[in-house]
Amino acid sequence: MKITYNWLKEFIENLESISPAEIAEKLTMSGTEVKKVNYLGENFKNLVVGRILSFEKHPDADKLSLCNVDTGRNLLNIVCGAKNFKADDIVVVALEGARIQDFVIKKSKIRGIFSEGMMCSEKELGISDESGGIMILDDSFTVGKDFAGQAGLDDWVFELEITPNRPDCLCVLGIAREISALTGLKFKEFGYNSEYYANKDKKFVIDIRDYESCPRYSAKIFKKIDNYPKTPLWMKNRLMQCDIRSVSLLVDLTNYVMLECGQPLHAFDLNKLSSKKIIIRKAEKEEKLLLIDGSEKSLDENDIVIADEKGPVALAGIMGGKGTEISDETEDMLLESANFNGVSIMRTSKKMGFRSEASNRFEKKLDPENTVNAIGRFEEMLYRISNVKSDNTFYDNYADLKRSRRIDLRLSRLNDFLGTDIKTEKVSEILDLLGFKNKTDGEIIKVDIPTFRYEDIEREVDLIEEVARIYGFDNIPVRKPRTASKQGKYTDEQKFLRAIRNTLSEMGLNEVINYSFIGRKDLLMFYLEKEKDYKDYVKIINPLNEDFEILRTSLIQSLVRNAKDNIFKKINDIAIFEISKIFKSAESDGQRKSTEKNTLGILLSGRACLKNWDIQERYYDYFDIKGIVESLAEIFFDKNDLSVNECEYGFFHPVLGGDIILKNKKIGVIGKLHPKIINNLDIRQDIYIAEIDLDTFIENISREKKFRQISSFPPVNIDLAFIVDEEIKYHDIEKEIIASAGRDLQNIRLFDLYRGKQLEDNKKSLAFALELNAIDKTLNEKDIESLIKKISEQLSKKFQARLRDQ
Amino acid sequence: MEENINALKSVLDKEYEDFESAVEKVQTLSELENIENRFIGKKSLVSEYLKNMGTLSGEFRPVAGKTINETRKKISERIFLIREEISLIEFDKKLRNEKSDLTLPGRKIKKGSKNIISQIIEEIEMFFIGLGYEIAEGPEIETDYYNFEALNHPPDHPARSLHDTFFIDENILLRTHTSPVQIRYMEKHKPPVYVIAPGKTYRKDYDVTHTPMFTQIEGLAVDKDINFGNFKWTLETFVHAIFGKDRKIRFRPHYFPFTEPSAEVDVSCNMCKGSGCRICSYSGWLEILGAGMVDPNLYKFVGYDAEEVNGFAFGVGIERIAMLKYGINDLRMFFDNDLRFLNQF
Ligand SMILES: [Zn+2]
Repeated sequence: MKITYNWLKEFIENLESISPAEIAEKLTMSGTEVKKVNYLGENFKNLVVGRILSFEKHPDADKLSLCNVDTGRNLLNIVCGAKNFKADDIVVVALEGARIQDFVIKKSKIRGIFSEGMMCSEKELGISDESGGIMILDDSFTVGKDFAGQAGLDDWVFELEITPNRPDCLCVLGIAREISALTGLKFKEFGYNSEYYANKDKKFVIDIRDYESCPRYSAKIFKKIDNYPKTPLWMKNRLMQCDIRSVSLLVDLTNYVMLECGQPLHAFDLNKLSSKKIIIRKAEKEEKLLLIDGSEKSLDENDIVIADEKGPVALAGIMGGKGTEISDETEDMLLESANFNGVSIMRTSKKMGFRSEASNRFEKKLDPENTVNAIGRFEEMLYRISNVKSDNTFYDNYADLKRSRRIDLRLSRLNDFLGTDIKTEKVSEILDLLGFKNKTDGEIIKVDIPTFRYEDIEREVDLIEEVARIYGFDNIPVRKPRTASKQGKYTDEQKFLRAIRNTLSEMGLNEVINYSFIGRKDLLMFYLEKEKDYKDYVKIINPLNEDFEILRTSLIQSLVRNAKDNIFKKINDIAIFEISKIFKSAESDGQRKSTEKNTLGILLSGRACLKNWDIQERYYDYFDIKGIVESLAEIFFDKNDLSVNECEYGFFHPVLGGDIILKNKKIGVIGKLHPKIINNLDIRQDIYIAEIDLDTFIENISREKKFRQISSFPPVNIDLAFIVDEEIKYHDIEKEIIASAGRDLQNIRLFDLYRGKQLEDNKKSLAFALELNAIDKTLNEKDIESLIKKISEQLSKKFQARLRDQ
Repeated sequence: MEENINALKSVLDKEYEDFESAVEKVQTLSELENIENRFIGKKSLVSEYLKNMGTLSGEFRPVAGKTINETRKKISERIFLIREEISLIEFDKKLRNEKSDLTLPGRKIKKGSKNIISQIIEEIEMFFIGLGYEIAEGPEIETDYYNFEALNHPPDHPARSLHDTFFIDENILLRTHTSPVQIRYMEKHKPPVYVIAPGKTYRKDYDVTHTPMFTQIEGLAVDKDINFGNFKWTLETFVHAIFGKDRKIRFRPHYFPFTEPSAEVDVSCNMCKGSGCRICSYSGWLEILGAGMVDPNLYKFVGYDAEEVNGFAFGVGIERIAMLKYGINDLRMFFDNDLRFLNQF
């Protein structure tokens, strides 16, 4: 919201003693944030009001005139190209040094004749788009005096941000009240002239069908408005500074009064109403209304309308109807000043996708006591401009809400809450300044809440806030809390999760974070719609767009997108991971429920090693990603707790994909991304992926670690190679060796895998290095021999494995 | 061999002198070996003498034997020392012949990185753990009740329109802030409560200054005797820990439905040192968090007694902190996951 310094001056005595910058600071530090203070006069320097005394044609140019202009102190010769003036017209003269549209005025010769200034159009001055000649001022302007001051342009504009709890501050008066409380300067209130009274006659009737929708509707009739003058320039300018376009005097006045006292007004063409009766009611289903902006709206029972006896004439609080709009031909006007239910207005305005200055105010719940003041102010301003007095009646229908409230404020509670030692007198003074009448009774201050704050001050704590913000947050002393009564810590689960993140980043992977959303096409591209673990997704009913409509059931798509994005930027070597939640939809007790799980995704692509002066280039493959998963698992689990089982997934290479098994339970998948997906994405390099359910992973981590005794006897290292059928899986052989070797086996390592000429077809040789060590003795030849025998026999029995001669 | 001890001694002395002069110029181990052969080898004078000991008379024999052996020992000890010396020199020479260029690049360990958002979260977590806080968590798919209603946003509250919410269905939504964790935590724990809750949050907004997902840290302290001064101390200390002690801080009154009084906290702009610049929109201040004293209404939802306890709460935008701390100028960088960005942190 924007308001101006001079406007505020009208309601605060002696405001000129405080600079606009100081006011901005005080407002900001009391909760009304001033985003910007802008001095307008900067653009209107060296502009003076002048009178054209005489003019003649330029001797050398038909289109130019040579004018003699009185600027008070001097008579100037000015060459002018416009035609719309006559002698005695009052005009704006830009003197030497004035800046007009980024052009600095100086004395210059125009076609051989000296011109000592420039007469300006509204467009040149930047106060409207009007460019049909120079601006002719009315005789309210004083010749010889500064133009900006007389046109309301020697002013500062404050750009304010009003929080939604303070609808009372959505106007000049509200801000003036705040400034008064902050500075102690006197606030000049105005009220409706008491000689005027409501419903003196029955010439017009206001029928409110539902006070819930409309607690109050006040209105006044203005006759013979067709010969009112135009909006004065200062008012036009003031509206313009507050981002409101000037339309006509009456429309401008409704806006002016709204900006000034916060009450939206609406003007109807009285003679276009079909009855001398206004009905405020809920719309009927499918009822139609053509609005001022030309759009036809179909209404329903949630919308409030203003209607005459034929049908709706305005959408309450949002926009008037086209049929009753005032125009230049309007003779008589009905001015509406009403209070509507904020929630209804908000719903309707949301539904219509339309917000106006009025609806924005109504949404925040306005004070119904204010409707009559606004009519009074409208009349007063109209009189000031036109000198026309209106009659002394208005029409009013008011549910007469009891808007009085008294709250007890305990001084001790206030000081305990704030950590302060503010005295009763100070509290009482602050409340007075804010317009809260109060009475001290011992340690209790009894506070009457004014009607304009009725909506937001309901409790003692609300008053404490009022005192605190006027007293100044900066003045409340900083106090170290008494030592917290708790010891700060991470839970085990939180520690593990952070350790996993640290480990992976130390392994050389970069942590990415992706949006939780994907599109349906991402789901299809990865063939997830067929995978039972991935297909049941949670859908956003109001997504940003179709690329963001699904909550991802896997991190894979996002990671692949990251790879693709980087590869397209020629960053080809990628090792990334993400720890984020994935979301799934599940049926339970006949209800759809969504679940979310912390999940780890890892992606490798490109080169594991670049060619270096003594290192060979190497590309990532399946065993790199498996190694990462294994290394990670070995930090938290026994080596043998983790394994991989082959399993086919639509998104993995048909023989290079499987499940990650932890303690006999599936916790994730690992594999090579299916080459057809890679082709579809136009990536042209292999991608390896692992995804792990981190919640389950962490759940299974043993909370206690136990020390295992170290043997003090020397270990024995032996190598054993077995020849087996190609179909036999490494993992099964390893498992068998571990089982038969028993507890003396400390380490097992596959150091060679051979397929080839020295073996029959479909055979392979696996060579293991075993480290053996007993806790209680040195293993001798006999021990070793019997162990080898045991292992060989077991492997031979299980897999027809043959021990290979060394 | 003379049967005269003096004559024998002089012969042996002469022999030792010869040895010394021979050994003086020795350079290599093989030269030394030759000398060793010559003076104490099988055909050396000393060996000859020792071989012929049997021919000597009984009384002279032990004296001569001792003398000869002394000479032999002297020579052999000397050779041992010289051999040590030459081996060392030769070893050194061998080492010096190895080729080396210490300036060649080393084999580096590939560097990964924790995401900048994770790093800042952890930094903030460590700060608050130091003050006695725990870490709380909550779901990203929330109910209307926790995201709005229990946080003092009844249906149709105008403040709801500040949150452009993504809905799953009528009452289920993606949390628009981490504040629901306050309610969830208080429901399950009695005061004193000191927690922070980091996490992802979602709003339907996508432009230069908004992403549909962003990260927040919520903080909540509820205890006996907590006051506004404590709230100021905690946030001031926090801001100083993150941005440095030289930064000024101000508490600007604001409005949030679930705190009362509410404040926005600004830190002085580091670019212009408070005099105003483009970064701080010429105000000299940068807004970094929203906070306030817990609105007593919330205690009704979780069964606390508002007369017994007070509290404060705050919410910090992590991306905003990162942008200010590192001068990152485009919010979208956080979710582009460009490796050139990720590798910087
Ligand atoms: Zn700055």
